[in-house]
Amino acid sequence: MPDIHIKDLSFSYPNADKSVLQDINLTVKQGEYLAICGKSGSGKTTLLRHLKSLLTPYGQRSGSICIGSVPLEEIPPIAQASKIGYVMQNPQEQIVTDKVWHELAFGLENIGCDTATMRSRVAEMACYFGIADWFHKDVATLSGGQQQLLNLASIMAMQPDILILDEPTSQLDPLAASDFLNTVRKINLELGTTVIITEHRLEDILPAADRVLVMENGRVVGLDTPKAVGELLWRQKNPMFAAMPTPMQAFYLSNAGGDCPLTVREGRRWLEDTLPGTPEITALPSPAPVPETAPALELTDMWFRYTRESQDVLRGVSISIQAGSIHAIVGGNGAGKSTFLKAVCGTCKPYRGKVSIFGKTFKHYSAGELFQNCLAMLPQNPKSLFVKNTVLEDLQEISGEIAQVAADCQIEHLLQSHPYDLSGGEQQRAALAKVLLTKPKLLLLDEPTKGMDCFFKKAFAEILCKLKQQGVTILLVSHDVEFCAKYADKVSMFFDGQALSTHTPKTFFGGNSFYTTAANRMSRAFFQNAVTVEDVVELLAKNREVGL
Amino acid sequence: MKTDGFSKFHPLTNFLFFLGAIGFGVVFQHPAYCIAGIVCSGIYYVLLQKRKALKSIARMLPLFFIVALINPLFNTLGEHPLFFLFGRPYTAEALGYGFAVGGILIITLLWFGCYNYVMTADKFTALFGSLAPSLSLLLVMVFRLIPGLAANAAQIMDARRAIGKGAENASVREKLSHGMTVLLALTGWALEGSIVTADSMKSRGYGAAKRSSFQIYRLTAKDGFLLFVIAVAAALTIFGAATGATDVTYTPDFSAAPLSVYFPVYCIYLLIPSFIHVKEVLLCRIFISKI
Repeated sequence: MPDIHIKDLSFSYPNADKSVLQDINLTVKQGEYLAICGKSGSGKTTLLRHLKSLLTPYGQRSGSICIGSVPLEEIPPIAQASKIGYVMQNPQEQIVTDKVWHELAFGLENIGCDTATMRSRVAEMACYFGIADWFHKDVATLSGGQQQLLNLASIMAMQPDILILDEPTSQLDPLAASDFLNTVRKINLELGTTVIITEHRLEDILPAADRVLVMENGRVVGLDTPKAVGELLWRQKNPMFAAMPTPMQAFYLSNAGGDCPLTVREGRRWLEDTLPGTPEITALPSPAPVPETAPALELTDMWFRYTRESQDVLRGVSISIQAGSIHAIVGGNGAGKSTFLKAVCGTCKPYRGKVSIFGKTFKHYSAGELFQNCLAMLPQNPKSLFVKNTVLEDLQEISGEIAQVAADCQIEHLLQSHPYDLSGGEQQRAALAKVLLTKPKLLLLDEPTKGMDCFFKKAFAEILCKLKQQGVTILLVSHDVEFCAKYADKVSMFFDGQALSTHTPKTFFGGNSFYTTAANRMSRAFFQNAVTVEDVVELLAKNREVGL
Repeated sequence: MKTDGFSKFHPLTNFLFFLGAIGFGVVFQHPAYCIAGIVCSGIYYVLLQKRKALKSIARMLPLFFIVALINPLFNTLGEHPLFFLFGRPYTAEALGYGFAVGGILIITLLWFGCYNYVMTADKFTALFGSLAPSLSLLLVMVFRLIPGLAANAAQIMDARRAIGKGAENASVREKLSHGMTVLLALTGWALEGSIVTADSMKSRGYGAAKRSSFQIYRLTAKDGFLLFVIAVAAALTIFGAATGATDVTYTPDFSAAPLSVYFPVYCIYLLIPSFIHVKEVLLCRIFISKI
């Protein structure tokens, strides 16, 4: 299929005074990898949806979209279904059938493929995507990463020429996400399929992208190679710059000259060139140790399994969380992190071991007392907290005095909206507001930054820091090492059902070589404990001063 | 992982077997045939479900006795009254008939238990998918929806519990209102999800052309052979029943046809899946012992 030409495309929803897309002009070459970035609400999804007639939202539209010389609307639905593949955000809800093999064949069934062709296509896709091992499984038993890979595979079975992905990894953990994005990259390289993708995780896709499109309020503000776009955003002082890969941020923030690094490898080489020989100062002074306080939460030798026959999920967890600190627990998938949180709030009953919350075990809390002004948890999926028709009603379910919390969580403008109409990050903040209304002293967060873009993350971190100042103890379980490195006081590794080493982020991530932040991977050969972009920039500046 | 040999056959083979077994089980009231039905379905059920089967059989027993003991209260026909209840005779014949009806109920339950294990949703749709592709897709989606709803409900309840809105130690009224809240939230969530599913279906060409159906199961020579055995045994049993081999009257006077050659044929028919299951387990042991 030839190139995609978008000419003067504008769009607005009915009864809306602001248009979502304004004068978009874009040509995507056959086989190109185009990354689209922009804040939430900048019109990325709307633009992607215009590339497939069936998904195009209803509203006022002008301008044209042509594939080659044919207007998109004139391409019959069957051809659009097979030639333009579209992967959405939520892995689970995109799946239609109940078995992996059936899902792979679903699209082919729709276009009336014969059985022999279907067999070979399905087999081919199962092999290409490494699905063969779980080919016969129920889709419900798959992990989120596997589900999303299945969605991609079932679309690739129809042999599309254009692949459109709308934040495909926002619901996945970083390892599954980079697996998924590598597969997309592979498809682009090996099959020559055109890829158009929007993502929060620019770190993973920018090195693969041919061009990057930056959107703001429905307009294209930049369209160029990744490096050129990075420079453009820096010059414009555009807040989107914060979403750029770590090496690029470190490069511009330290006002370096020369060629901008994009990957960790390039970043390392750049540091090598900037720092001749061994740098004078290799470590930042470690922050003053947090004064030891009484533990808010103490777990001793806790064991848990879901059923009598199954394996232990928690295998002797002992950990103590200091009151008034932000404690992060990181670890791989299936290490038992979420189960650990469930055990802390009593949803899972450990068969051995002791949980003591502010010095008292569960038994010493009367009914309901534990979750009144004491302990509260923000679940992984914020949707599970919303039970009413507006955010306001949902908050009022807990308490009448919502003004302060709503202001803290910056959701005042969303109070009248339906919770499901909010974006992922907004939902997360509304859910946090609901949890905070119970006035917890110990707050548990399960993967709070999932699906948030970097702006929301920043806002979210500010809320957490404010809570910390008010004396709230925060225990969060996360895959997001960058977030933990930046904002946590203590980090623990969870592995094999146990909480292993607990350290400050600087010591913790400084000591790891793989499970660590991009900033640390880039700078570890030169600096000892630089784990964030700011650390790297600060160390560079210090060394420069010494050099002068 | 399923180790049942019979489940590995083509859905058509599975389905026809159960059609026969359940059909015969419901129709035959002859005590010998009923007992054969209970024993054979019971054996296969236990082979499939192991310990769980014994538990559910134990739960079925009271049902069996209730049905059997209640029948004489309504049906007073019969030559041999055991005792009189409120002036009405409680007869041995009616009790016998009650046991037959109870037996039929148990047979049906047991065979359906096995059926659920063997004929998974995907097998069912694979079988009927080509006849009614849209309907079978609808069924598949419903099958997927139910466990999904259950999982979401559990998530909502856990989430609410952790913000102090759980239903433990609540009054009945509070529990009811809690249940309603969860149900409403669940509906909203499901509707929201169905929009995404609908988009995903549309974008993959649903409704763009006449649907075909992907067949993952293939009829093999083994299936052919087993289908042949099933057909012959079923035909003989039907012929036997037609010629009066299963005739029985309970009331007013008990009389049953004497057992003939058709009875062992019926037993063989019912034991086919158990036989295949045991054969497969033994073969598996032998093969593994060679490694």
